Amino acid sequence: MDRRNFLKFSSAGIASALLGSTGLLSWAPRAEAATISKTFYITEGFITQPDGVDVYFRGFSPSTNNLTVPGAQMIVQEGDTVRITIVNTLGTSHSFKIDGVVDSGRIYGGQTRTIEFQVNKAGTYMYYDARNAPYNRLVGLHGGFAVMPKGSSDEVYAGSPNFVQQYFWLFHDIDPVWHNSIRNRRTPGTTYSPRYFTINGLSGRPPGSAGSGDPAIDAMHDPLSALHGHIGDRTLLRVLNAGQCQQSVHTHGNHMDWLTDNGQIRDEIWSKDCIYLEGNMGKFDAIFPFAPPPDAHPPVTTGVYPMHLHTEMSQTAGGGLYMFGSLTDIFFE
Amino acid sequence: MGMRRRTTTDGGGMDGGGGGGGMGGMGGSCYIYPATPATPGLTNADVTFNLGIDMQIPLTMDDGNTINMWGFTDNGGNMGMDGGGMGGGGTFPSPAMRVTQGDIIHTNLNVGMMWVHTIHHHGIEPEYRSDGVGHLSHDVANGTYTYQWRPAHAGTYFYHCHTNTVLHAEMGMYGALIVDPPEGPGTLFSGGPRYDVEAFWVVDEIDSSWHTLPWDAGTCGGDVGLNELNPDYFVITGVDGSGDSAMNTPPISATVQRGQKLLARYICAGYHPQKIRFGGLTGKIYASDGRPLPKPVSVTEIRACSAERYDIIFEPTERGTYLIETDIIHWVTGDVLGTTRTSITVV
Ligand SMILES: [Cu+2]
Ligand SMILES: [Cu+2]
Repeated sequence: MDRRNFLKFSSAGIASALLGSTGLLSWAPRAEAATISKTFYITEGFITQPDGVDVYFRGFSPSTNNLTVPGAQMIVQEGDTVRITIVNTLGTSHSFKIDGVVDSGRIYGGQTRTIEFQVNKAGTYMYYDARNAPYNRLVGLHGGFAVMPKGSSDEVYAGSPNFVQQYFWLFHDIDPVWHNSIRNRRTPGTTYSPRYFTINGLSGRPPGSAGSGDPAIDAMHDPLSALHGHIGDRTLLRVLNAGQCQQSVHTHGNHMDWLTDNGQIRDEIWSKDCIYLEGNMGKFDAIFPFAPPPDAHPPVTTGVYPMHLHTEMSQTAGGGLYMFGSLTDIFFE
Repeated sequence: MGMRRRTTTDGGGMDGGGGGGGMGGMGGSCYIYPATPATPGLTNADVTFNLGIDMQIPLTMDDGNTINMWGFTDNGGNMGMDGGGMGGGGTFPSPAMRVTQGDIIHTNLNVGMMWVHTIHHHGIEPEYRSDGVGHLSHDVANGTYTYQWRPAHAGTYFYHCHTNTVLHAEMGMYGALIVDPPEGPGTLFSGGPRYDVEAFWVVDEIDSSWHTLPWDAGTCGGDVGLNELNPDYFVITGVDGSGDSAMNTPPISATVQRGQKLLARYICAGYHPQKIRFGGLTGKIYASDGRPLPKPVSVTEIRACSAERYDIIFEPTERGTYLIETDIIHWVTGDVLGTTRTSITVV
């Protein structure tokens, strides 16, 4: 297949598409349930990685002429009716699934399908294409989905510790050889060897590198990934893993309050600087408290710290380029 | 090599240049931020560590092969020559730091001209310029920088280099960091359990194919294989753990009398996940990552991810030798890649 037939995207288009479609920081609870409608277009194309290599992806995108990986973040509340329309612009079959919530079943190439479902359980979820598992999910068909407790603006689950803002950290790992097999409609036959690592579809761009500081390219400055807060701005992290690698999610500056593990509310809340994130759709919720860094002398309330995966192979791109992987920054303002 | 180098102990020093990062300045290295500025808010310390660099630390494994490791030395403040990396004196792991909660600590890191490194005190949360993360402050090169911190929480931590971290931490640039409560060793944290004997289980994997790489490998691009860690050796607290070398080797192994309390400080120092099993003993986790648990948890095994720490108290009642085994598990496949072994002997 001629690659000129494909859309080619820089990551710039991706982040702005995400920004335009999220109500992330402006979430306000509603007294009444609502019907939330959303249309996703399943598209394909290439995304340029930090070492310049173009890698094939498919995505749940906002229009036919666009490729967005991951798909837009969605936040709804308990009791809402969600109406999702999937326009499959490709020649291959796909699906839209949220485990325990909804499964569209097979959507043939060229088909459009609308599914409607009610959300009844607060929590953090991944929507994804469950067909041809895990390949369709790995090639980019996934996104973050959150259900807020009914009438609540500051809890993960009813009665949870409170937060004042929330972020998704959706991690992914990418083997371009597998992506190419999927593009050619073959089942990958090689040993999985991830070469790129992303958070919310982006990778780090350290100071001095091309694109550093550009919020559309640099995960360290992506407003959906980098945390910004003042002291006391307790920040909910909805952490999801679309990739296959087990990860260690590590924050500097503060420990995290670890609230849920793979959808289960933990018996006790532990204060952790590293939290185990399972591969293949592992997830957890934690609160980054934005408390004064406890070990500073003299005491401080401002500064900038990293979040990175401590499974350090994930901090690379193309076998080198340390800091061009899954990491972002945390700004105490 | 053996070139002159400044020895400063006051935390001052010259900027290494190239603080803006980017290409050039250090041979083939990119995206490093060398500088040795004054430490913000520098005050007198209660305790000072002077660390240097050793890039040639031979580690002999059970099969007779010797692997080159990198590490920190505890003579960084005193040597006029060679302390910047070629002078020897390094061990694997690097020397342990043991400090008391509430003390003001200075970690002076002295680095020569040939490479850059930092110290990140993992789990310690200081002012950001004492955090050792190059892209947010600076890497240390050609001089000395003073990391200033004051530990607020007793527990088990470790320190490691945070320059080209994927490589430098794997090469062995880490050491244990213990924060004792004001009561001193023998108490895990104020209001927490006391212990009579202490063991240190710092479990790590080594991919020997990485151990001939230069310090800046991959930083400018090019595939040097740092996305694939395929370990062929498995170590516990600096000792080949695949055979019997770490058995009856205190303070990795421990001998306790019935009625005594053993504290095991377990650090997952590798990158792949681990599972540690206690050979039939049940332990109680009292703290993790330098924070007490709200309620201690009884366990016979623990699953851990990279850089997690667990503080486990054992109160064995039956005589015997108990095998402590840690599986190193591939981060994708879940396959057990190797296992380290040590022992608890109850008399
Ligand atoms: Cu280093
Ligand atoms: Cu660390």
